Amino acid sequence: MGRQIGEVILDLKNISLSFGGVKALSDISFDVREHEIRAIIGPNGAGKSSMLNVINGVYRPQQGEIVLRGEHFANMTPARAARAGIARTFQNLALFKGMTVLDNIMAGRNLQMRANLFQQAIWFGPARREELAHRAKVEEIIDFLEIQHIRKVPVGRLPYGLQKRVDLGRALAMEPQILLLDEPMAGMNVEEKQDMCRFILDINDQFGTTIVLIEHDMGVVMDISDRVVVLDYGRKIGDGAPDEVRANPDVIRAYLGTSN
Amino acid sequence: MIYRENGQFKTSYAADQQIFPIRQDRIAILALLIFAGVGVPLFADEYLFRAILIPFLILSLAALGVNLLVGYCGQITLGAGAFMAVGAYAAYNFLIRVDGMPMLIAVLLGGVVAALVGIVFGVPSLRVRGLYLAVATLAAQFFWDWAFLRIRWFTNYSSSGSVSVAELDFFGWRIETPVEKYLLCLGLLILFALVAKNLTRGAIGRQWMAIRDMDVAAEVIGIRPMYAKLSAFAVSSFYLGVAGALWGFVHLGSWEPAAFSIDRSFQLLFMVIIGGLGSIMGSFFGAAFIVVLPIFLNQFLPWLGGLVGVTISTAAVSHAEFMIFGALIIFFLIVEPHGLARLWSTGKEKLRLWPFPH
Repeated sequence: MGRQIGEVILDLKNISLSFGGVKALSDISFDVREHEIRAIIGPNGAGKSSMLNVINGVYRPQQGEIVLRGEHFANMTPARAARAGIARTFQNLALFKGMTVLDNIMAGRNLQMRANLFQQAIWFGPARREELAHRAKVEEIIDFLEIQHIRKVPVGRLPYGLQKRVDLGRALAMEPQILLLDEPMAGMNVEEKQDMCRFILDINDQFGTTIVLIEHDMGVVMDISDRVVVLDYGRKIGDGAPDEVRANPDVIRAYLGTSN
Repeated sequence: MIYRENGQFKTSYAADQQIFPIRQDRIAILALLIFAGVGVPLFADEYLFRAILIPFLILSLAALGVNLLVGYCGQITLGAGAFMAVGAYAAYNFLIRVDGMPMLIAVLLGGVVAALVGIVFGVPSLRVRGLYLAVATLAAQFFWDWAFLRIRWFTNYSSSGSVSVAELDFFGWRIETPVEKYLLCLGLLILFALVAKNLTRGAIGRQWMAIRDMDVAAEVIGIRPMYAKLSAFAVSSFYLGVAGALWGFVHLGSWEPAAFSIDRSFQLLFMVIIGGLGSIMGSFFGAAFIVVLPIFLNQFLPWLGGLVGVTISTAAVSHAEFMIFGALIIFFLIVEPHGLARLWSTGKEKLRLWPFPH
């Protein structure tokens, strides 16, 4: 692999998040280095998805700070995160169901499109030029994800595995620097999982995209990630290379239970 | 067999992004436009123009506006009639208060004023959605109904409360005959439909649909909900305003606020639901269904009665008209909840495979 893991690009410091009286995350710190694949694992309800939602501003933590490329934020907003080059996919698919695959991925390029309302109304001129240029980019993503045959199909009619790919495609269309993947392989069969793994590794390798992913399939996590952070009941119980984490007694206890 | 796209290869993305990518469709639409522009004026009589064609064209334009907001952006509105009223009265005031104001410019300015009003009444959509938003837009309807009835300045202190536009002047060309009115409406409708198509197939259309389908995900990819929703309200109200001004100027000639009552809002909403939400074509189908069907029933029922030797009274006809009309709406919604436009595209899909469906 040609990539080289770089400096810390995203640093989360002492993040705490609670909903009413329920503590979803308490005092969690970890960092993400440029070009690495960073996995977040943990049992159900450990706060993994909440963590991603904090990173891209859907949730706002009560305490802690987020340092993104040296800039300090008490919290992110979805708009700020999108502009800073953070894209994400969703655990339970949040695609635009009434739109075609092509339109879904084109929507991902929304931030790069400049033509104003009047230029778009006229269509000929700047709006059309821009549309065609972005279409070419989007077609590259469609080729990359091998979904050429369904580009004109409304997303709502596609099977689950393909929808997951479109979700990934829409995130890729933003040309993100950091890509957050929320259980990209949940509910897939072995073949689909292999495809998805290949896509993730290729994205990381070819585009140098930093990837933060949540995954339940331990085999996958241990194989593809560079470093793993383990959450349990909103607390961090392990952090490090896959092998270290696997040997960590706290992690084993959280996953397998204890016999006292 | 004729409706096939075999052999029509697209070698550029530009070719793939045409409004009608299939050659047969392009030919059919061109033929339809020529027929509407040349053929119809040759044979249609005055009744047809006044009672069917002109109302159909203007209400299609209004339905287009409602569809942009409700069908594409997913923001339900019950205030469509109010925005038509704003357009009509604003255009009227521009016409009488500004010396030498050309009619067309007044109509377009009416649309602009309606767009601004639409933005103001669209603000609640940033907080509430669905039925609650419908109620909020209902406030626009009641407010403007009241304003045009009670604030005399809007109606230029006319004693009866109704206003009228004496003559229509299209940059020196006096529009008097129904044919001329029809052609004016047709021209504007084609132009506006083209603009609507351009908007919906471009970036802003994708933003609207993204907000409609999944607003959280839309925000995460950097779409600003405020801009998307308010621009949808503005564009939609602009269409409604222009349609309202045309309705007053061209179709009615003189009108009072009741012309744009809540009935009109519901009628427009039914049009887009029956025609097909999120479809430009659907707006036309819906308008045709709602404008033409009652008139057709009105003519057809007595004829049917005559066939079996029963004379049906006018009152009975109009009762039956309502009942059959209502039943047909329910029938269509059960058979195809996505509207006539979906029925149409399913038909085309079938036709592409016919006669070998497997």
